[in-house]
Amino acid sequence: MCDHHDILRSNNRDLQGIEKQWDRREFFKKTSLGLGAMALGSLLQSEKLWSAVNSVADSGNSLHSLTKNNLGLPHHLPKAKRIVYLFQSGGPSQLDLFDYKPKLKDMFGQDLPDSIRAGQRLTGMSADQTAFPIAASTLNFKQYGESRAWVSEAMPYLSEVVDDLCFIKGMHTDAINHDPAITFFQTGSQQPGRPSIGSWISYGLGSDNDNLPTFISLVSKNGSGQPLYSRLWGNGFLPTEHQGVQFRSGKDPVLYLGDPENYDGKDRRQMLDYLKKLNGMAYDAFGDPEINARIAQYEMAYRMQTSVPEVTDTSDEPDYIFDMYGPDSRNAGTYAANCLMARKLLEKDVKFVQLYHQGWDQHGNCPGGVKYQSKNTDQGTAALIKDLKQRGMLEDTLVVWGGEFGRTVYSQGQLTETNYGRDHHPKAFTMFMAGAGMKPGFTYGETDDFGYNIIKDPVHTHDFQATLLHLFGIDHERLTFKHQGRRFRLTDVHGDVVKDILV
Amino acid sequence: MESNVPDFILFLGRFHPLVVHLPIGFLIFAFLLEIYGRWHRNPALTMVIGLALFGGAISALVASVLGYMLSLGGDYEQTMLDTHFWFGAATTIVAFIASAIHSGKLNIPKLKGLKSNMAGLSLVVLLVGITGHYGGNLTHGSDYLFKYAPFGRSEKVVLPPIVKLEEAEVYAYLVNPILEAKCTSCHNSSKKKGGLSFQDSVAFKKGGKNGEAFIAGNVAKSEMVRRVMLDPHHEDFMPPEGKTPLTDGEKQILSFWIEKANADFKVKLADLETPEDITSIASNMLGLEDVTGKSGIPLPKVKPVSAEILRDIEDAGFKIRELIFGSGLYEVVLPPESITSKDSGELEGKLEKLLPLKLNILWLSLRDNMVQDEHLKTIGQFVNLQKLEIEKNPITDVGIAELTGIQSITGLNLYQTKITASSFENFLKMKGLKRVYVWGTTITVDEVASFRDIENRPEVILGM
Repeated sequence: MCDHHDILRSNNRDLQGIEKQWDRREFFKKTSLGLGAMALGSLLQSEKLWSAVNSVADSGNSLHSLTKNNLGLPHHLPKAKRIVYLFQSGGPSQLDLFDYKPKLKDMFGQDLPDSIRAGQRLTGMSADQTAFPIAASTLNFKQYGESRAWVSEAMPYLSEVVDDLCFIKGMHTDAINHDPAITFFQTGSQQPGRPSIGSWISYGLGSDNDNLPTFISLVSKNGSGQPLYSRLWGNGFLPTEHQGVQFRSGKDPVLYLGDPENYDGKDRRQMLDYLKKLNGMAYDAFGDPEINARIAQYEMAYRMQTSVPEVTDTSDEPDYIFDMYGPDSRNAGTYAANCLMARKLLEKDVKFVQLYHQGWDQHGNCPGGVKYQSKNTDQGTAALIKDLKQRGMLEDTLVVWGGEFGRTVYSQGQLTETNYGRDHHPKAFTMFMAGAGMKPGFTYGETDDFGYNIIKDPVHTHDFQATLLHLFGIDHERLTFKHQGRRFRLTDVHGDVVKDILV
Repeated sequence: MESNVPDFILFLGRFHPLVVHLPIGFLIFAFLLEIYGRWHRNPALTMVIGLALFGGAISALVASVLGYMLSLGGDYEQTMLDTHFWFGAATTIVAFIASAIHSGKLNIPKLKGLKSNMAGLSLVVLLVGITGHYGGNLTHGSDYLFKYAPFGRSEKVVLPPIVKLEEAEVYAYLVNPILEAKCTSCHNSSKKKGGLSFQDSVAFKKGGKNGEAFIAGNVAKSEMVRRVMLDPHHEDFMPPEGKTPLTDGEKQILSFWIEKANADFKVKLADLETPEDITSIASNMLGLEDVTGKSGIPLPKVKPVSAEILRDIEDAGFKIRELIFGSGLYEVVLPPESITSKDSGELEGKLEKLLPLKLNILWLSLRDNMVQDEHLKTIGQFVNLQKLEIEKNPITDVGIAELTGIQSITGLNLYQTKITASSFENFLKMKGLKRVYVWGTTITVDEVASFRDIENRPEVILGM
């Protein structure tokens, strides 16, 4: 292929004439006015002239690949190199999993005291209930490990690894409904439009593997319940190359990556080079950063044509690994299979892997629902932690497990001896984290006897986000992006790093 | 601070110190000729004076404009800058007036007979002098001119270096350096913001117009501590917006000095009961080894490495990432399977490329790269390593013995290597070691269990 494209030119003869005249003018401007013309000439060419020198770039560190961007990151020595965030969408019931409240048994069916609820707003689903009968968990709890952490019978596999986990029992959030709550957790704002945590980290720290995206999301297949949407792993106002790339289950983990039928792909490199040249010219002419994002994405897609099939192929995993993750792990797209995939991606130094599992929204039949979802996720989660640990990766890989809020102590709908439902509860719930600088075998925070209010060491969503960034060497107050005239950050104007849960 | 001034403006602005000498020369020249003309008047001289004056005025205008551009960069102290700015502007205007008077274009009848020519020129020269002085102070600092003057020189105290932490005087070695770094630019004898000066202990004790800066033994009532501890958005917060705030450690030192050292100006650390975190902060400030171990392993202070060396290492196939921006401390990764059994001879050469960086590397990963015992000799020189990943390599116990000199290492990944339980004693020699990963080696559960009773042992982690 040959071309004569060095600068964008029109094919129209008349326009070519005008372009020539323009060149002559340009020539006189540049040559006749000396210094001023020098400035003017470059002004006409680009916006660069009137942009400010980036103070960090100016400070003498010229090696591009080391700075990645000119943000001056990391701010301090990181503990975490990568993260896998196991998002349990719907709001898992902390009262039926980790936050053991034995005193509730004696209060079965009693109305939740007003002094405890204290006028807390309820969702539209239970606000008009005449009574709020207390529902103790019907699941059995036991203490496990050297750390004596309480775990219910729903999660037998996880109970084996509690000594590696750091439970945060005093989580609380601002939102009470799914969409705003999950958006809040993932982006720091209840309104859509902000970048997700993974995008911030990709923007701030760049990639450790040039052949795979920095931020990958995996959604358990056949999920039902509250919907998920791609903006949860979206880049918001950050440059587009920082958005999460969703890997699907089945033949095409990334859509349209394979070659179409009857095309051998041999001249693709040549085609891309030419396209890159054209895009480069377009960038020189218009200066739109989205053009660069597009070039980067074409190149990434090209490299992913070989790297993705390689990393998504689990056939070389030995049987005992599949056995550890459970039978589901052989069924691509299930939570367990995604956990295994996550480990493979992390092993390839993908920085941020985000799993989503839907179905934790137990408004009715809570005991059964919790057991069912635990069965789908428990073995995979525990196996992932064990697998990361035995490979030494828990040393610098952060594991996060949690939903967007917790569930109420009172029953939504009818309470019977064996069954109850639970409504959304943002005021107290449990999450756990593990690995990379988190205290292992540790429980932080405490709720009252009703599991309704936090009585010790609350951790707000923004605190959690600040701590997460802290583990990556980022001061959450200093990672900002200017957009629409204002500097934004993940934690907005809130958030404190929870130092007590760090090693 | 980020400036939003276009580069080109700053580029032109930087010509100010160059151009500014033109009006100085022209105007003083005009003044000297005018004096000369007192005695030897001739028409040519008058013309030359006129030209010099006009040239001076024009160049003063250009210099002023450039100066204003330069000031937009915001690198200068505001009050001094303002003075310089107004004197500069005045000089330019008066130079034009003087030029107009000289050429006769400006003829004010009232000034007749007042030697307006001479008066204008004298004023111009006076203004040039003042403006120039302020300009000089801006660029070189106000103590530049008289620093080596034979009069009024004050001795700058240079503290003798300290070997042991206990010998350090709290005020001189810890408190004063903080004040000098963060406070004295606005609170000194010549510039007393709020009436407060930290110049010496006398002025310090006196306090400012809001009373005393500190109350010995009472942190809660000490104004200076209250100010630095406030929310940064609070009106009273110190240092004011735009200046670097105190770090948590510095705040702790100030509180410690007032509370525990009773704000004594002479007391040494040895005379005081020093809590561990203060010892740790103080050791860091003075560049001494932190004996408490509280801040973990202190980060090594290293020299930066040139970009060529780094590029050379990258060309050898390594990935380098700076762990803290600007620290010169790096994570280095050789991507797995960069070296296979076919080209295993190349590894030594690659590792030698890392040697200039041997003190700068904190994290090193050589996973699955045919690393053998002989290569660990080279790695053993990387004494600041905190994390070493050499899993999936044909390494034996012999190689591990080469690593025992690295005391800073906390995490050592040896899974799927050929090591045995006899490496345990070498693990013990690495004092900082916390976790060793040995899944997929011959080491058994029983062997790990027998290792359990030893004190200060690292955790040995097996797999399934």
